[in-house]
Amino acid sequence: MAPIEPGPDVPGAFDAAGQAEYLNEVMAEIDAEVRRRRASGDLPAGLEQELDELFLEFSPVGLHGKARLRETLALVDGSAYVDMTVPVESQKAVGSHVKRLIRKSMGWYIGFIVHQIVKFAWSVSRMFHVVVDHVEDLEAAVDDQRTPELPPSAVPVADPGSTWWSSGAVAALSGVGGRVLHADCGTGTLLDALIAGGIDAYGVDPNESVIEGAIERGLDVRAESVLEHLEVVAEEALSGMVLSGSVQWRHPNQRARLVRLATSRLAVDGVLVIHSATPESWAAGTTHLISDLAPGRPLHAETWSHLLADHGFRRTGLTFGGEDRRLDRVAPSNPDAPAINAAIDIVNSLLLGPGEYLLVAIRQR
Amino acid sequence: MTAVHQFVPALLPRDATGDHTLALRDALRGAGWESDIYVEAAHDDLWPEATYFERYPERAKPGDVLLYQLSTASPLAEFLLGRPETLVLDYHNITPSSYYDGWEDHTSAKVALARVQAAALAPAATLGIADSAFNAAELSHMGCRTTAVVPILVDIADRKPSVDEAESARLARQHGSGTVLLFVGRISPNKTQHHLVEALWLYRRWYDPEARLHLVGPAFTESYVEAVFALADELGLADAVRHGEHLSDAQLAAWYADADVFVCLSEHEGFCIPLLEAMQSGLPVVAFAAGAVPETLGHAGLLLGSKRPGVVAAAVDRVRRDDVLAGRLVAAGHRRLEDFLLPTTRTRFVEVLAGLAEDRGVRS
Repeated sequence: MAPIEPGPDVPGAFDAAGQAEYLNEVMAEIDAEVRRRRASGDLPAGLEQELDELFLEFSPVGLHGKARLRETLALVDGSAYVDMTVPVESQKAVGSHVKRLIRKSMGWYIGFIVHQIVKFAWSVSRMFHVVVDHVEDLEAAVDDQRTPELPPSAVPVADPGSTWWSSGAVAALSGVGGRVLHADCGTGTLLDALIAGGIDAYGVDPNESVIEGAIERGLDVRAESVLEHLEVVAEEALSGMVLSGSVQWRHPNQRARLVRLATSRLAVDGVLVIHSATPESWAAGTTHLISDLAPGRPLHAETWSHLLADHGFRRTGLTFGGEDRRLDRVAPSNPDAPAINAAIDIVNSLLLGPGEYLLVAIRQR
Repeated sequence: MTAVHQFVPALLPRDATGDHTLALRDALRGAGWESDIYVEAAHDDLWPEATYFERYPERAKPGDVLLYQLSTASPLAEFLLGRPETLVLDYHNITPSSYYDGWEDHTSAKVALARVQAAALAPAATLGIADSAFNAAELSHMGCRTTAVVPILVDIADRKPSVDEAESARLARQHGSGTVLLFVGRISPNKTQHHLVEALWLYRRWYDPEARLHLVGPAFTESYVEAVFALADELGLADAVRHGEHLSDAQLAAWYADADVFVCLSEHEGFCIPLLEAMQSGLPVVAFAAGAVPETLGHAGLLLGSKRPGVVAAAVDRVRRDDVLAGRLVAAGHRRLEDFLLPTTRTRFVEVLAGLAEDRGVRS
């Protein structure tokens, strides 16, 4: 390569703050270039994920469950055999004779040792077979109790920009300095609103077909699940994050992982916005497939606040909204009003409640 | 006179911890301290500089400070835990075992043991010295009460040997005018060289079909190395990805000189000396912001918040096309190196240890 000349004598070139500002501008232009590539079709949705999946085909960590256990077991079986026939080839004619003589004279001794080694190795191998059989029996028992997976096509297309909570999300994130991620961004309409508000926002959604329109509009949207995406984001790289859509019915283990990742990827003072249905209204307000097959259930706002506080967040806002399915109380003039209203209160609190909520929290540590 | 003796699992030539240990020993002696190096193992050429660690008890004196170069699992940890002397840790980071799970179980077990040993040593140490704030935070998390950040002692000015011209010519013959991306470091899952291969594939599609990736470093995790090159093969990059190892300093200089951009997508680095080597070689740096990379690099490189191939490819292209950017990065690299010059870091190290000695009243 031709040697690169050291930098120009321009204002700010040798000043740390000036250099940082300059590099931020360059990075913004690089992000814009990637967005342009996505919009032009040069970077199809899901391509980057396909590359990662291709690598996993060559990786032992890509093998899971039975395949990995059985492959390892085959290695143990293969190495449990000890060949006691010592090679006798030699470059010198007499060498072969000498080696053959030694092999013959030592054969009884080597055989004695090898017999014990092989016996030990096969005992170990047998033990592993028993363990693997047991593990597979356990897996089968667990599989029997597993519920069918929720098909992606059963999840309705989200159009978050037209919801009651979009303005609250934009307001909560206005003024954050850096990048904002919208997880499960759907059609990207909330991203439109965030960008219109001067926020550097991008999105991820696992459903490739849903995000096509957003990519065509030039938005920076990737076909990834939020967990996969956050794994490759640098620590404290984000200033804000919106979690919506299927995030609310994640499996509890995945939800815990999501909170850990969100905590580490958000900068201190970063803003986390969560939209969720309330547990009371969720079953009534969502589709039967989702309410029956979703791996998890929405949490109450107080529970989110508790989980987030454990990770160093402070709740700064909580707004309830959405379709209010609560029954109206009857007028006091009705002679049976006390009994009827008591029953209505119970039904409202147990089944209907407020429909949805928007929770805003700030990472403090 | 009080002594600060170092304990290091293995004293090896052309090894960052080995060079650091020797440089620190010289600095301590230069400051008027007694200082010897105790090891579990050493390269034949370096045994004259070292003493087997089990001989220390017969030489121990009141007031000795024992400084442990902590970067791997070793019987030294248990030995030091049993000693009554003041213990100082010099922490160079230990890769989390999760990176090796499934790839190399014995390495995974070894680094897991190293972390267990570190967690036992940290609360017992009077002081923890770390190469970076990232490492210092890990030490604190493990229970070390007091920490100080002092960069690793590396004579970066000496790390620009003359280029091996024969090696340069050999590299030049292998490729034409295509862009050469370089990464230096052991080939290991935490360095994620497979992401470099993915980025190269996209970079060639978008910008430069002749571009190449040069990976320099020991093939540390064999199954991972095989997977990285199998991926390259599958993507049609078998001839575009080159691996160099067992290089002399002059040969390594040739690989640096042959490259156009230094790209680091590591997920876990405690310091990353190759970043300094790249700066010294006048290479612009593009790096994923993980571990200690942001603080080592400062503003002397393009720090990526994501290492998706599209972002990496676009960043490399920008550096290649934009002479002003490349020039500013190289100039910033040269300035950044001044923070790591050996006289500066050596003085800082001695000051930290002298402060400890004064606090404990052990200095004569």
